[in-house]
Amino acid sequence: MNRFWDTILNVSVPDPDDARRRRLLNIILVGNIAGAVVGFLAIGISNILANQLANFETVVLAGGAFVAALGCYGIYQINRRLSGRWASLLYLLLLTLVFTSMDTPAQLSNGRSIFLFTIPIAISSLILLPEASFLFALLGSGIIAGLALSIQQPVNIFAIIGFFLLALVSWLSARSLESALHELRVINANLDQVVYQRTQALAESLARERLEAGRNQAILNSIADGVIVFDRNWNAILVNPAIRSLLDLPVELIVNRNFRELIEHPKLSARSRGLLYAMIEHDTQPLSFRIEWGNKTLSVSAAQVYDFREEGNINLGTVTVFRDFTREAEVERLKSSFVAIVSHELRTPLNAILGYAEMFREEVYGPMNEKQVNMANRIISNTRRLLGLINDLLDQAQMEAGKLTIHMGPVRPSELLEQIHNLLDKTAAEKKLRITSEMDDSLPETIIGDGPRLEQILVNLVTNAIKFTDQGEIRIRLFHLPEFRKWGIEVTDTGRGIPRSELPHIFDSFRQVEEGTTRTHSGVGLGLAIVKQLVNLMNGEIKAASEVGQGSVFTVTLPLVTPP
Amino acid sequence: MNELALIIEDDLDLADIFAEALRGVGFTVEHASDGKKAQERLLYGEPPYLILLDMHLPHISGGQILTDILKKDTRFEKTLIIITTADARMGEAYSEMVDFVMIKPISFVQLRDLTARLKPPQ
Repeated sequence: MNRFWDTILNVSVPDPDDARRRRLLNIILVGNIAGAVVGFLAIGISNILANQLANFETVVLAGGAFVAALGCYGIYQINRRLSGRWASLLYLLLLTLVFTSMDTPAQLSNGRSIFLFTIPIAISSLILLPEASFLFALLGSGIIAGLALSIQQPVNIFAIIGFFLLALVSWLSARSLESALHELRVINANLDQVVYQRTQALAESLARERLEAGRNQAILNSIADGVIVFDRNWNAILVNPAIRSLLDLPVELIVNRNFRELIEHPKLSARSRGLLYAMIEHDTQPLSFRIEWGNKTLSVSAAQVYDFREEGNINLGTVTVFRDFTREAEVERLKSSFVAIVSHELRTPLNAILGYAEMFREEVYGPMNEKQVNMANRIISNTRRLLGLINDLLDQAQMEAGKLTIHMGPVRPSELLEQIHNLLDKTAAEKKLRITSEMDDSLPETIIGDGPRLEQILVNLVTNAIKFTDQGEIRIRLFHLPEFRKWGIEVTDTGRGIPRSELPHIFDSFRQVEEGTTRTHSGVGLGLAIVKQLVNLMNGEIKAASEVGQGSVFTVTLPLVTPP
Repeated sequence: MNELALIIEDDLDLADIFAEALRGVGFTVEHASDGKKAQERLLYGEPPYLILLDMHLPHISGGQILTDILKKDTRFEKTLIIITTADARMGEAYSEMVDFVMIKPISFVQLRDLTARLKPPQ
């Protein structure tokens, strides 16, 4: 309905004032047409009801109404199609003309109909121009003055003054209305401008964000590594497509689920499950380790994400990267098994050399002179050294292949010390060094540990100490930390020490201090690397402290388990 | 009378050294150079007083000889069994089934001294 009236009344022009005036004129015209039609019908119906023939007066009235309706329609068309100004002017002039012809000159100039002329004055300021009210006040004044003079009556000055006062009021009110509307429009326009700018800025930032997100997503999508982002409760909040092929699982089974569900997946080996649980339970700092997933080996790197803006560095979650390590692991395994085979094959002939040399020394095939026995002894000690190196290589290979495992059993710390003295006192004595040992009284008589591996740790540490000490002693201490439920091994020497810059690297494989300069000491540099790995396998820690020229202290701390 | 010792060892030099050590303390020594020969010898020959068994053998492993023959056949109930291996873990695993475990490299002196103690008093 509103739309119907809008189509009839509205004139679409760019100038809002013009549009408003033309719409107002249309309303008036439509009202006039309706009034004229109603009047025309009313005359007809009343005549029929009165059952009398039309007299001259009613015919004129009906004709007038018809003409008025037609005229209004004509102006309406002009207003719609041509010009609002001309249509308004025409309408107002016609209105004035109609009013002028509606009564006797006496009544118009000074009687009851004088007020008719106020209508065009009031309307003109609204539909033509605010100032137009003065034009029609002038016109109305002219008409009444002319009519008064034509019938020799005095001109009604008060009416003329009234016309002009009305024109003034109309002008002022129309003007203030227009200026109010204008201000409103300006405000609206400004508002539109602001809204437009804001919308534009919003659209731009959205586009930028989408671009950035798209770029990040593109990076995430294109990398071959599988990525899972977890929130702080280990719920997977983001994954990339690579994870699907890596784990051979639909993404729905990963994303929006807790990591624990994934850890319980049967494809994961028991060992890997343990590692992953350790990762999520201990929340330790940057981690990297390998897991077995079905027949794949994956390396897992995890980094926690912190919000450093917040007080106390709020943990936001963890980014984990899974990389297919199957090929590398296979190569490593082959390398390790190659080393293992080679080591085994090397050991057998060395065992034979050792045996034959011993047979010489033991004079199995007849007496030997002192020099010959001495030579046999040198063969024996060199062979033993070589065997020791091969053992180290084999251990290293086994550890790299993940084959080396810890077997727990009852161990007597006092026997460990005894064994070390048996094995190494002679070696130390050859360098005129002494090995002393002590043990905390509170240390239990029997503990749970891997006896042969603990011995190996001690042998490697003490051998190392002997190797790098020229005078003094090597002190072994087995200590007990009851408050932490830990125990440990401390080996102190009075050797040449380790430069500060080398300390971080001493546990690396194949590394000896002074690498590449003078190799004054034998060995391939695996001893400490093996110790470190064994200690790690035992869930322990190893630390080294040293002062150049003063000596070094190696401290191994291990969890203390006692037999039930 | 010299007691019989059977050396089951695929490396001939090591077998030679072991034989020398055992002879040195008065054993009569026989040698089987692989698992198959050892199995035949054990099934058809006289049960030895002592067996020195290498765990890493061609054809039939030492572990198999140990479980299949020596532990099932009552003729070997009194036989002393020493196994030799380079693998300390393996040695530990079999330690309950045998009398002694020797970890390679095996020293001539070590073997001689051990077997000397094992010889029955004359």
